[in-house]
Amino acid sequence: MPASPIHEASRRELERIRNALAMTAARRPAMTSSTTSTATPPRHSFEQAIEDVKLSKTDLNAVIMEYLISEGYPEAAQRFALEANIEPELDVDSIQERVEIREAIASGDIQSAIEKINELNPQVLDQDSALHFSLLRLQLIELIRKATATPDGDITPALTFATTHLAPRAPTNQEFLEDLERTMALLIFPPDNLAPPLAALLDPALRQEVAQRVNQALLLSQGERTKATLYDLVNYRSWANQKAIQAKKEHLPERIELGFDPAHNGHESSQNGSSLRQAADPMVTGWGPY
Amino acid sequence: MTNEGSPGAPHLSYSNPTSGIMPRRSSYASVAAGTAGISSSSGHLPRIVNTGSYTHSTSLDQPSRIPQPISDPDTRVEGGMDIPSSWGRGGSFSSPRFPSQSYSASGSGGMLGFFEPSYLKESKYMEKLKAAHKAKLAAQADELLTRSSKPGSLSTSSSSVSLHKMAPSHRGMTYEIIERQPEVEDDGVTPLPSKWAETDKNAGLEISADGQDVKFVGPSKTLDHEAASTRSDNPMPAQCGIYYYEVSIISRGKEGMIGVGFSGASASLEKLPGWEPESWAYHGDDGKSFCAATPGKPYGPTFTSGDVIGCGVNFMKGCAFFTKNGVFQGNAFRDLRDVKVYPSVGMKRPHAHLSVNFGQRPFMFDIDRMVSRERQSIIDEINAADVSNLHPTLNKDELCKALVAQYLSHDGYVETARAFASEVRAEATALRGGSESKLEGYLSVEEDHDAMNRQQIRTAILDGDIDKAIKLTNAFYPQVLQDNHQIYFKLRCRKFIEMMRQSTDFLDNSTSKQTKSTTTNGHSTAVSDDGFEPDMDLDEPITSKDGGHHNNDDWDRMDTEEVAGGDNWGLKYQTLLEVIIRYGQELKHEFKDDRRKHVTDTFTDIFSMFSYPDPRKSPQGKLLESEQRVPLAEGLNSAILVSLGKSSSTALERVYKQTVVLVDMISEDGGPGSFINVGNLLQSSRKSWQQ
Repeated sequence: MPASPIHEASRRELERIRNALAMTAARRPAMTSSTTSTATPPRHSFEQAIEDVKLSKTDLNAVIMEYLISEGYPEAAQRFALEANIEPELDVDSIQERVEIREAIASGDIQSAIEKINELNPQVLDQDSALHFSLLRLQLIELIRKATATPDGDITPALTFATTHLAPRAPTNQEFLEDLERTMALLIFPPDNLAPPLAALLDPALRQEVAQRVNQALLLSQGERTKATLYDLVNYRSWANQKAIQAKKEHLPERIELGFDPAHNGHESSQNGSSLRQAADPMVTGWGPY
Repeated sequence: MTNEGSPGAPHLSYSNPTSGIMPRRSSYASVAAGTAGISSSSGHLPRIVNTGSYTHSTSLDQPSRIPQPISDPDTRVEGGMDIPSSWGRGGSFSSPRFPSQSYSASGSGGMLGFFEPSYLKESKYMEKLKAAHKAKLAAQADELLTRSSKPGSLSTSSSSVSLHKMAPSHRGMTYEIIERQPEVEDDGVTPLPSKWAETDKNAGLEISADGQDVKFVGPSKTLDHEAASTRSDNPMPAQCGIYYYEVSIISRGKEGMIGVGFSGASASLEKLPGWEPESWAYHGDDGKSFCAATPGKPYGPTFTSGDVIGCGVNFMKGCAFFTKNGVFQGNAFRDLRDVKVYPSVGMKRPHAHLSVNFGQRPFMFDIDRMVSRERQSIIDEINAADVSNLHPTLNKDELCKALVAQYLSHDGYVETARAFASEVRAEATALRGGSESKLEGYLSVEEDHDAMNRQQIRTAILDGDIDKAIKLTNAFYPQVLQDNHQIYFKLRCRKFIEMMRQSTDFLDNSTSKQTKSTTTNGHSTAVSDDGFEPDMDLDEPITSKDGGHHNNDDWDRMDTEEVAGGDNWGLKYQTLLEVIIRYGQELKHEFKDDRRKHVTDTFTDIFSMFSYPDPRKSPQGKLLESEQRVPLAEGLNSAILVSLGKSSSTALERVYKQTVVLVDMISEDGGPGSFINVGNLLQSSRKSWQQ
């Protein structure tokens, strides 16, 4: 088709621009590579190095998703699958079972926790006698807690439980025996003035710890990773920092902030605010081409 | 032709006793060289001659000299057009060289190109090396395309200029040739040893053309301490934690005086490694280990023809060991600290002949197992790490919850954040009977309009609708683009790129149209699919005088034509290009006062796409990919967050990035980080629930 004069003119202009640009483009590689081979790369600051690390949101979302599933937050996991547009359908039931067990342990209802575990997979406790013993001892602690809550509480149920369930297992392992003895000491001392090792037995943290071990054992029995990657990542971070300090690495900041900013202005933000701010400012550091 | 140490180098005079055994390969080489010669008008061969599947470049100034042996064409191509660096080295073109045993024996591809030793498969080091290699290939492919599409630039002068930088003239250059990818330059990864260095050998030795074999060809070294040694092209990279290579004794020569080990660049090559300061080796004649010129210590059995000797350095532990025929012989040296060493072998008598395996082929010794055991012990150490130093008040469990909660609310997963908060609260209530948790500050999810605004802006960029993103940003956060001029600049440039992107869709549709029907559906869908709507009512004033209005008119016309079923695609394409040019001029005008390098460079990059009929095939074609929008979206999001007084990235993101940098730090010199690849950790999280 015959091109209009306007288009003919612009075609020529385009041609001219193309030629000019082709020459510029042809010159550039040579310049780039000559600077490459001679100049040593500038020593980057720690903050700059951090900005340069590439990380995809998809990978981070996977870390979050895995955490929600393996730690047992079914509601959040379902929401997240929707909000983050994550593909595979979730098997909420398998999370729910672990959540119920966790809740039972957390609330001190060890009996039903053990029943639920056995319902799910009786081999879990059969194969892990230490875990089984920990659960039974937790149950004993709850019985003692109940008995010593009032001045004239009945300690018979606690004693019976200890003799029938824990005592037969204790001789198989020195640690079991010590644990049992320490637990029984709770019956003797008044609960409001306990030595730290004994007080730890009554702390809810112990229940939480056992609940986590149970969760890991269940995950293992289901062929899953026993621990969410997030936990590993936190360990990696801490370990690497310690190693870098030990090796007296140059450019290592004295303290590397995680940079939380919780709703209420946290303790961290003031400590190292200026450098964090700088690292975060895209004007200063840039964030890659386009 | 300047070639270091070429004429007059003593080893030029050695005749090659084995040159007669390779006619089969040399015939191929003649064909290739002959083809190349035709296209060469002068005595110079062009830098890169693309003869179909076979790519070869040389720096020969005498066409009669045939580079050999030339590997199989497949090997060459797979090897990634690896410039035969041996040819750049002094004296290497003096005489045809003998083929290596290992090469003739295996005959498999990839020998001369990029390779990945099995024990380094999971390492961060290897990952970096691969990235560098990939970038190099891409750059070279670009280079080829550029050349083939622009025959004019293949002038004698320009090719000889480039030729100079192509020829690796010293060690360490191999991966720096025509690097245009800044991330690779910054990484500065030392490549693996891949062959014996022609430039780093005693005159009494001859190295096969592929650099794998080394042979004693000089007169017998009669003096007690005299010998001939060579080193590899690259030093052992400490960042890989453990480095390992193996040597096959093809022939031990008389007395079996052979040393296998490693040495620093300054150690003399007139002696066996181990007899010199800065050199360490295991000797075949007496089975002793020699450490930096100290008297030999009884170490292992003697070795002779047919044996395979392995040499490994554990940079983390500062020790070195040897293997014989796949059997570990124990640690030979300790307290190797901060050493920069090259694999090195030496020999003393004629007919001694060694063939090396730098990891191109499987090793005899199970080095993979040793490395994975080392890795496992590091992972055990990490699992046992004390994390209490990470946060002043939160324990590990609480810290993880806080990281998740902060991530969810920061990135605008509002519903998830609420659900998570309530589930965590329920858990705490069950445990402690409802006491206030330390986590409360991290769990509260604010009603956040900002999150939604930011989400909208992000979506606009990810859809390629830059004008909409600018409009929204100016409406919600008027200060942000004023304060962050660089982001504004990048957005405006991105718009140009999006227009180029659209023009490529146009190209695709046009070509298909020529062969098929003349319906215009393709055009209109291409326009909207791309998200680049011809948005007429730009809120922001357009600075250019002649730009704006004209621009809009063109868009209008094009649109109506399509609706009306016009099939004049050539004209429309032309029109689109005009619009792009106008926008480009407008853009250039808007930033004409900004002479900073990144601005001018960016302009050169994006406008250079115009010099290609299909911009996707230009060196900057990568910019057209939609993934390139993500960093821009994240960058603007961060800038908005900063303007709101919030941190620009999530704590989880920082934890990960800090970990990567810290692990990198402690792997530089072969420290414990060498065995760890944090990136693999993330992959594992993905695998665990995406089955």
